[in-house]
Amino acid sequence: MTEPAHSTARIAGHPIHPMLVSFPIAFWIGALFTDIAYANSYNLFWLNASAWLILAGLVMAGLAATAGLVDFLGSRGVREHKTAWAHMIGNVTATVLQIFNELVHTRDGADAVVPTGLTLSVIVVLILAVTGWLGWELVYRKKVGVAE
Amino acid sequence: MSAPGRPMRRLAGLAFSAGLAALAAGCGSQHAGGADGPTGPNPVLPPPHHYLLPPMGVAKVVGWSAGATPEAAPGLKVTALATGLPHPRWVYPLPNGDILVAEANDPKAPPPTRAKDIVMGLVMGHAGAATPSANRIELIRPGAPGQPASRSVFISGLDHPFGMVLVGNDLYVADTDAVLRFPYTPGATSITAPAVKMAELPGGPINHHWTKSIIASPDGTKLYVTVGSNSNIGENGLAAEYGRAAIYEMDRASGRMRLFATGLRNPNGMGWEPTTGALWTVANERDELGDDLVPDYLTSVKDGAFYGWPYSYYGQHVDTRVQPQRPDLVKTAVAPDYALGSHVAPLGMTFDTGSTLPARYRGGAFVGEHGSWNRANPHGYKVVFVPFQGGKPNGQPVTILGGFMKTKGKVQGRPVGVAFDRTGALIVADDVGGVIWRVTGG
Repeated sequence: MTEPAHSTARIAGHPIHPMLVSFPIAFWIGALFTDIAYANSYNLFWLNASAWLILAGLVMAGLAATAGLVDFLGSRGVREHKTAWAHMIGNVTATVLQIFNELVHTRDGADAVVPTGLTLSVIVVLILAVTGWLGWELVYRKKVGVAE
Repeated sequence: MSAPGRPMRRLAGLAFSAGLAALAAGCGSQHAGGADGPTGPNPVLPPPHHYLLPPMGVAKVVGWSAGATPEAAPGLKVTALATGLPHPRWVYPLPNGDILVAEANDPKAPPPTRAKDIVMGLVMGHAGAATPSANRIELIRPGAPGQPASRSVFISGLDHPFGMVLVGNDLYVADTDAVLRFPYTPGATSITAPAVKMAELPGGPINHHWTKSIIASPDGTKLYVTVGSNSNIGENGLAAEYGRAAIYEMDRASGRMRLFATGLRNPNGMGWEPTTGALWTVANERDELGDDLVPDYLTSVKDGAFYGWPYSYYGQHVDTRVQPQRPDLVKTAVAPDYALGSHVAPLGMTFDTGSTLPARYRGGAFVGEHGSWNRANPHGYKVVFVPFQGGKPNGQPVTILGGFMKTKGKVQGRPVGVAFDRTGALIVADDVGGVIWRVTGG
């Protein structure tokens, strides 16, 4: 554990991955709330809002994952942290679940949300709570990507 | 419109069964019904399925090679009356032997409001580039025996015309957003006189089911107009469905309209059953509940009846996707008379009231089935005959004109409007084939 864990994908020394991760996190937490709003109102606005939020989250998750993967592959120091592996596997799982959730959200009518869509949105937010915590662990405790 | 949808669906299905079975209960394949799904007077409906990716099979249009025709049933003969027409959808034979052809293609889709529009485009690889809509009516005058028919532009500048009916010297055209009246002179090959707008019909901007058909009562005092729904099952909001999924009755003298029947998702062809004088129609039912749900149907249309859409299908089978539900309306929902098969997309319909086809067809209904795009194993793409006895369908549908689908996924043409011409031959509009077919007895 002596290898420095630097960030490879960065702009002027600032790691890109932490800049991007907030987007899918915020979009997908938002989608959970709009799913709940739809389940309680059957107002189609919330259903459509959920579908757009999940889609926007997928686009940004793709970008964030790319930057994250570059960091992961670019530094043996990063890969040596078990936390980094757990963080990556958890986030990839959440993203794959959201691909299915987006397909569920393309169904017509209430099927788009209740019960499967809402269930997936809850699971994804729970996963993000853990992987997000692990991500902060990597930066604040393990000092991944922190400038010397 | 190529469709690399199936491999994608398989892929999704694989990944799905690998790890997500518990999360999306209810997905999967189904094996209910025969090859054509439930048909006939008392169809047994399979349970609904809820898909991650609904089955689709969009066929590629390859067109007719020179001299190729659909396959007519034994004892019938088919020839091309006219070819190379721009998307001919509907036919209306005039008393002098001329045949009017409404030429229109789908209106331009509005910008996406649902993420579904983008996701399905990505998954299914939808190619846009539909041919532009001709928005006109052409007149075809059959030639002397052995001679080609002549063609002329009859009325141009219309807005997605579909239905046509002549009462006396008044020609009514059902544009996508209005019923128009034109003065007709027997023998005319074009009309340049301006239209009189008789009534407005629900049109854009979504205009999901845009075709409006029209017929007149036998005494000519009333007109009946079909208006399809603005969505599959109300997913564009109920405000978008105002005045839709219905058949209207219009008083011809005053132009006053009233709802005649409601809850018909997408009714098109209409006809008068010859023994009872009842109004019959064919309607396209809802999608994404399974390959064998919901059967499209042929039904008599009762004054004031509600046929279920969107809350229930085939009578009182509740569609739980539609929320909030309306049990009060479902209680009143009338089941249609006859299932034609799921996703066959019946559009044209006419009764044989004295054709020159063999006598076994007399009194029955001919239905033009445009064909499925939302079924794993495509069907429809044919003209069928439904025998009638005592004013009711009697027996299974029989294919009269087939071979529109060359091989699975390759389509030469798609039948739409059907009508009998002055000589008693069955005229069939083939939109993507660009052909008007004429079916005669042997």
